[in-house]
Amino acid sequence: MSDVTKKTGLVAASDHRPAAPTRRQALKTLAAGAGAAATMPLWARYASAQSAEPIRIGFGKHATGIGAAYGRWYDRVSQAAVAKINGDGGINGRMVELVTEDDGTDPRRAAELLEKFANQSNCDIAYGTLFSHVVIGAAPRAGELKLPYFVVSEGHHVASGMLNRWTVQPGITDVKSQVAAMAPFITDMLGKKVTMIFPDYGFGYDHRDNLTPAIEAMGGEVVGKIAIPPTETSFTKYFPQIPRDTEVIYHVMVGPAVLTFVKELGEFFGPSRPEIFGFIDSLEAVDINSPGLEFLEGTYFWEGMPRYLQPDAPDYVKAYRDAVGLDANGASTSDPSDVSTAAHMFGCWETLHVIKAGMEAAGYQSKDDRQALIEAVEAMTEMPAGPAHPQGAKIFNGKTHQVFGPQYISKVEGGKLSLVHTASAEETLYPDEVDYTTMDF
Amino acid sequence: MRAVLLAGLLGAPGAGLAHASEGGIILLLPTDLYVAGGVASVIATVLLILAIPERAARRMFRPVALGRAPGIGRFSLLTSILSAGLLLWAVIEGFHGAQDPKHNPLPLLVWTGMWVFLFAAQGVFGDVWRWLNPFRGSYGVLRLLGLPRLLRWPGWLGHWPAVLVWVGFSALLMIDIAPADPDRLAGIVLGYWGLTLAACVTFGPIWLRRGEGISVALGLYAQLTPLRRAGGAVRLSAPGWSLLRGPVPGWSLALLMLIMLGTGSFDGLNETFRWLAAIGVNPLAFEGRSQVITQNTLGLALCVAALVAVYGLAVRAGLWLVGEQRFGLAFRMLAPAILPIAFGYHLAHYLPVALVEGQYLADMVSHLLGGPGYHVTTGFLFSPDKVRMIFLSEAGFVVLGHILAILMSHAAALQLTGSHRRAAISQAPLALFMIFYTFFGLWLLASPRGA
Repeated sequence: MSDVTKKTGLVAASDHRPAAPTRRQALKTLAAGAGAAATMPLWARYASAQSAEPIRIGFGKHATGIGAAYGRWYDRVSQAAVAKINGDGGINGRMVELVTEDDGTDPRRAAELLEKFANQSNCDIAYGTLFSHVVIGAAPRAGELKLPYFVVSEGHHVASGMLNRWTVQPGITDVKSQVAAMAPFITDMLGKKVTMIFPDYGFGYDHRDNLTPAIEAMGGEVVGKIAIPPTETSFTKYFPQIPRDTEVIYHVMVGPAVLTFVKELGEFFGPSRPEIFGFIDSLEAVDINSPGLEFLEGTYFWEGMPRYLQPDAPDYVKAYRDAVGLDANGASTSDPSDVSTAAHMFGCWETLHVIKAGMEAAGYQSKDDRQALIEAVEAMTEMPAGPAHPQGAKIFNGKTHQVFGPQYISKVEGGKLSLVHTASAEETLYPDEVDYTTMDF
Repeated sequence: MRAVLLAGLLGAPGAGLAHASEGGIILLLPTDLYVAGGVASVIATVLLILAIPERAARRMFRPVALGRAPGIGRFSLLTSILSAGLLLWAVIEGFHGAQDPKHNPLPLLVWTGMWVFLFAAQGVFGDVWRWLNPFRGSYGVLRLLGLPRLLRWPGWLGHWPAVLVWVGFSALLMIDIAPADPDRLAGIVLGYWGLTLAACVTFGPIWLRRGEGISVALGLYAQLTPLRRAGGAVRLSAPGWSLLRGPVPGWSLALLMLIMLGTGSFDGLNETFRWLAAIGVNPLAFEGRSQVITQNTLGLALCVAALVAVYGLAVRAGLWLVGEQRFGLAFRMLAPAILPIAFGYHLAHYLPVALVEGQYLADMVSHLLGGPGYHVTTGFLFSPDKVRMIFLSEAGFVVLGHILAILMSHAAALQLTGSHRRAAISQAPLALFMIFYTFFGLWLLASPRGA
C-alpha cells in the first residue's frame, strides 16, 4: 500500500495530519477577523475544549438483523476512531461522542433513528449504516430533517443521484468503481473469457452490469452469466453451464451456502481449473482456512483493504490496525478465530476523520452550521493516505458526494491473502451521474 | 449493495432475531445423518414403551421423598424485592442509558438474562423465578401498605389472561420491529409492570399464578425438574413428574402449553430459507422486520393454530382407537407432555444465542463492576469441531425433549385409560405426531437461515 500515493500522484503522505483544510480555514478566519461563533479562531476553540459540550454523532449500527456481524466490527472501528480523534484533541476543541442506536438492519427503523438523532438525542449529525436498503430507506428522511448523513455503505446509490444533498459517502468507495477497476487485472493477468457466477438479485446484478462493459472495454468477453437463486444451497447442477472456453470464473456468491459453493466448485473442477476471481464480500469475516475453502488456494480476491498485514505496510496502517485491535491475520487480537470485516470497516475510521476535517474546515460550532459542514465536505478533493486515511489516498467528488480510492487484489497463498495488485483511485473513476451541489438544501 | 455474511445471521434475542446460525459450517456437516439418528431414537422410545412391563410404566413418574425441604423459601420475597430494584434500575438505564441494545442493561436483562437464560434455568434447576420475580417483589412491597383485594378471581377466567400475555410476549419477540430498543423496551416493561401491579392489587397474588403469563410459563418449565419440593419434602423422580401428579390443567392452561410450543416453533421457522422463500422474501437480502410484520403475524397465528389442531386430532384419533369418549379430559391431561418438547427446543434454539449474547451480558457485568472491557467474539461459529459440538448438543436437547414427551404422555394415557395396552394404542397417533415433530425440530436446526 505504500506505493499508493506514488501511483495516484496525489499529495504525498508525508503530512499525516488530516487537518490540512483546518489550518487553511483557520488562517482565513483569523485574516477575516470575523467574530461570530462559527468563525471562532482556532486558539479560542481549543481554549474552550474542556468545558464545551461534546459533538454528538448519531451512529446507526446494525446491532441486530442481517447486518449484525458487520455492525459489531463497524462499532469497534468507530469507537477506536473516536478514541483516536478525542485523544488528538477532539474536533474544534470539543470531544466527540457517538450516540449509538440499533437500526436492526431495517430501513424503517433507520429512518426513525434519524428522527430520534435530530429531535430527541440532540445529535449534530448522523452517521453509519452499511446495507443499501437501509441507506436508501433512511436518506430521504435525512433530507427532510436537513441532517447531514454520512453513510458507509459502498452502494452506488449515493453517486447515482438517487439520494439528496444531505447524504454523503466520503469514507468508502462504491461498488461501481470497485467492479470496474477489476477488469484490467482480470483481462491482462488472468484471461479474456470470463464466466460470472452471481446470486440472482440486485447485489449480483450490480456486479454483472458493471463488470460486463468494463471487461468488454478491455477487449475481453463475458462468455457466461450464471445467476443462482438466492435460496439455493447446492450448486453442482449449475456448473455444467460454465462454457468450456472459460478462462476466468468471477464469483460473488454470498450467504451461508458460500462454503458449500466453493467446496462443490472444487469437486467439479478437480486439479485443472480455470483462473478464479472473487469479491471478498463472499468471505468477509470468514477465516480463509475454513473447511471447504481449500480449493481457493491460488485464486484471487478483491479486497477493499487487505485483511492480512502486508510486509510493506506503512506505519499508519499498523497504527490503525493496532487501534482497532487486529492481529496480522485480520482477526481480533482478543480471539484469533474472530475474523474481522477488514475489507469494509476501514470506511468507518475514514468517514469519522472526514467528519472531523469537514467540521474543522467549516468551523462547525452548532447545528446551525450543518449546511456549512456539507459544503465543506463538498469542497474536499484530495485525501492523502495517512493516519486519517489508512486505506490509501483518495479523491473526493463533491458533485456526486462519493469518494474514490485504491482497490486491492490479493491472491490466496499458503492460506493467507497476499496483495498482488493495487488499482489506483484514478483507475476507478467514471463520469458523474449527478451534481448534488446544484440542488437546494 | 451489501450482502449477507455467513455470520451475519446472529442477532440478539428479541432483537432481530436472526439468531442461532452456525452459518456455513453447519451446511457442511452430515446433518442428514444426525437428524435420522435423532428421529430413530424417538421411534425406539415409542417401541421401548411397548416392551416394558405395566408395573414399570406406572412407577416411572412416582416420586421418592429424599428428606425435609429446607425452610429457606421465606427469603425469596426479599430477593424478589432486590430483583425489582434491579429491574427498576435497568428501566431507568433503558430510558437514559446507552441506546445500543448490546450495551444497555435492560435489553440484556430481559432478552438475554430472562428469556434465554432464566427460561432455560427453570427447567434445569427448578423455580429460580420465585426468587427473582420482580412483580412478586414489588407487589410484596405494596402489600406492606395493607391494600385490600378489590375483587375475587372469577373462576371462569382460568388462565386465559396468562394466555393473552404469552401471545403478546411472543408478538413482541417475533413481530415487533425493535423489541430490544432500550427506551422503547423501558416503556413496554414499565407499562406491563404497572398493569401487573394493578391486576395484583385488584385480584390479589392469584394474578401472578393465573394472569401474569411470563410467571405462569416459567412456573410450568420449573415443574419439569426431577427434584421438586412437594408436601414439605424434597422429592425426586423422572423429569415432569410434578406435572403428571398435579391437578389436570384447565382448558386455558392446557392451551397455553400448546401455544408455548407453537410460538417456539415459529421462532425458528421464521428464519429459515424455506419460510422466507414461501413469503417471497430473499433470505440473502432480508430487508428487516418492518417488511414482514403481516407475514410474521399470520405465520405465528397459523403455526399455533395448526399445532393445536394437529394435537387435537391426534388425541381424538387415539381415543377413537380405544373406544374412549372423554376428549376434553384427554386433551387437557396429555397437554403437559408437550412442555418438554417446547423446553428442549428452547434450549436448542437459544444455545448459540446464549453463547454470543452471554458474552455481552458478561461484558456489561464486568463494566458495572469496574472490570476490564471485553470484545465479544463469534469466532467459534467458524470452527467445525465447535459447530459440530453445538449442533449435536442442540439435537440432543430436541431428542431428549421428545423422549420425555413420549414417556409423559404414556403415563398420562395410563391414568386416563387404566391399562398399559390401551394407553399404548391410544398413544399411537400422538407418538406419530411427536416423531414428526422431532424431525421438524432437527430440520429447523440444520436449515440455512436468513432473517
